[in-house]
Amino acid sequence: MKTMETQMWGRPGPELAGDFMALLARAGLDTSAKGQAREGSMPVEIQATTVFAFHFSGGVLVVGDRRATAGNFIVSDTVDKVIELDQTSVLAIAGVPATAFEMARVLQHSFEYYRRSQLQPLSLAAKVRALARLLRENMPMALQGVGIVSPLFAGVETTPEGGVPRIFYYDPLGANFQSADYVAAGSGSPAIRSVFGFETQFGRRKPSEMTLEEAVGFALRLLLTASQFDSATGGVDPEKSGFATIKVLTPAGIRTIEPAEQTAMFRKVTA
Amino acid sequence: MTEEPYRWLEAIENRREYIQEQLKPSSPVFAASVDEGVLLLGVGGGLSKVFEIFDRHAMVALGHPADIERMRQGLIDAAHLESFTRAAEDVSLRRLVSFGLSVQLKTSFEQIFTAPFLVETLLAEVGATREQDVLARVRFDGSFELENGGVMVACAHSERERVAKQWLAQKLASDHSLETARKCFLAAWVGIMDPRAVLVDGFEQALTSTEPCKLLEGKIVEVGLLRRSGPRSRAYQAWT
Repeated sequence: MKTMETQMWGRPGPELAGDFMALLARAGLDTSAKGQAREGSMPVEIQATTVFAFHFSGGVLVVGDRRATAGNFIVSDTVDKVIELDQTSVLAIAGVPATAFEMARVLQHSFEYYRRSQLQPLSLAAKVRALARLLRENMPMALQGVGIVSPLFAGVETTPEGGVPRIFYYDPLGANFQSADYVAAGSGSPAIRSVFGFETQFGRRKPSEMTLEEAVGFALRLLLTASQFDSATGGVDPEKSGFATIKVLTPAGIRTIEPAEQTAMFRKVTA
Repeated sequence: MTEEPYRWLEAIENRREYIQEQLKPSSPVFAASVDEGVLLLGVGGGLSKVFEIFDRHAMVALGHPADIERMRQGLIDAAHLESFTRAAEDVSLRRLVSFGLSVQLKTSFEQIFTAPFLVETLLAEVGATREQDVLARVRFDGSFELENGGVMVACAHSERERVAKQWLAQKLASDHSLETARKCFLAAWVGIMDPRAVLVDGFEQALTSTEPCKLLEGKIVEVGLLRRSGPRSRAYQAWT
């Protein structure tokens, strides 16, 4: 590694202002997976499932279960898969945590580095593309069957009328799509999508019309439902002090729904 | 020139005088450890002087805006690389200053055929308590002082800086409130900038005066606070 002195002052060649990846490359710390070859037999990868996000009346709810598995082995039931990247954006990860957590770390540094160095926050569009770029760079690894990540991204877009929370999802090549209603990823997502599809079309109260309390109660019930069909989804049972990771995006920013709140909201909805 | 020791010394001395002369009209800047965190204050004509560097770190500087900007970018780069390769907790002001900034400033100062850094800086790191706060005073030649808690002043006039620091330390020794520190900083700024003032009398007079200060007319007072409580990555708050 270069010395701090060289890191601080050596800056040859033109580059994008505030680009943290360029700073890493300048310091000889390229994080991309390009050219990395897989050697030997592949170990059983740890996988994280299940995450989803949806619009409710007050903004966007981003939810993740707490289980990580390796094959049929439960590695942990206390994993946080919904990660705050900065004050207005959240990443929810399904897939290989080793890759996903590193992507989250790169994005956290990139967003904060840009904000501090350029004295303005990065736009939502640029944040969405930054994640797309990381997914694209991870493609060689994904093609080798290692480190596949299926992330969801939610952020608050600044408009003249104020902040607007939005949800995005990606394909493995980095193509990004905005979701108007809901999106889910991970092995428990088929069950969750089915319920969402039903509730959105035929439900008496659509998810987008729910209050925060209703939305949190609904989200916890969705995870419990998914865990009945998918053994890789778990770690959530509000009646037995098992809690999901739930973050709320509103025009004002991000708030975490703490375990005590989850229990109260769950009981209120199921009473 | 450089092969003759005497001429090199003379060139260095000339360079020091040149930098001091260039910095003379600059507006002094202040930093102090208070109950809520670390307060930084600068007064200027519109260009920023107070900046966030990292999670718990900020700077306030006087001098040429381009040099302040170069220093700011360098510090931000170093802090973020350190945080990315190790962890946010490993970014420390002591290391940033003594292994990075100071070395580069000294090297730059002694390279007599290149443009010098026209900048005097205060840097701050907020800790869990006032005693764990770290303040640094870094001079244009790379020399620096580090203190835990307390008060720091950066001024182009060394005697004024010494007296102002002493006065502020006395005033803030028993009262560590944000508001007191802000008022004392402004009083010290007025006292330093008023060429007619006898320093300590000038500070006291400015502190007790109820009249709006004419020296501050048309100026922008810029304040930054590194908050002790709350999320560590959102410690910095700025207002003018």
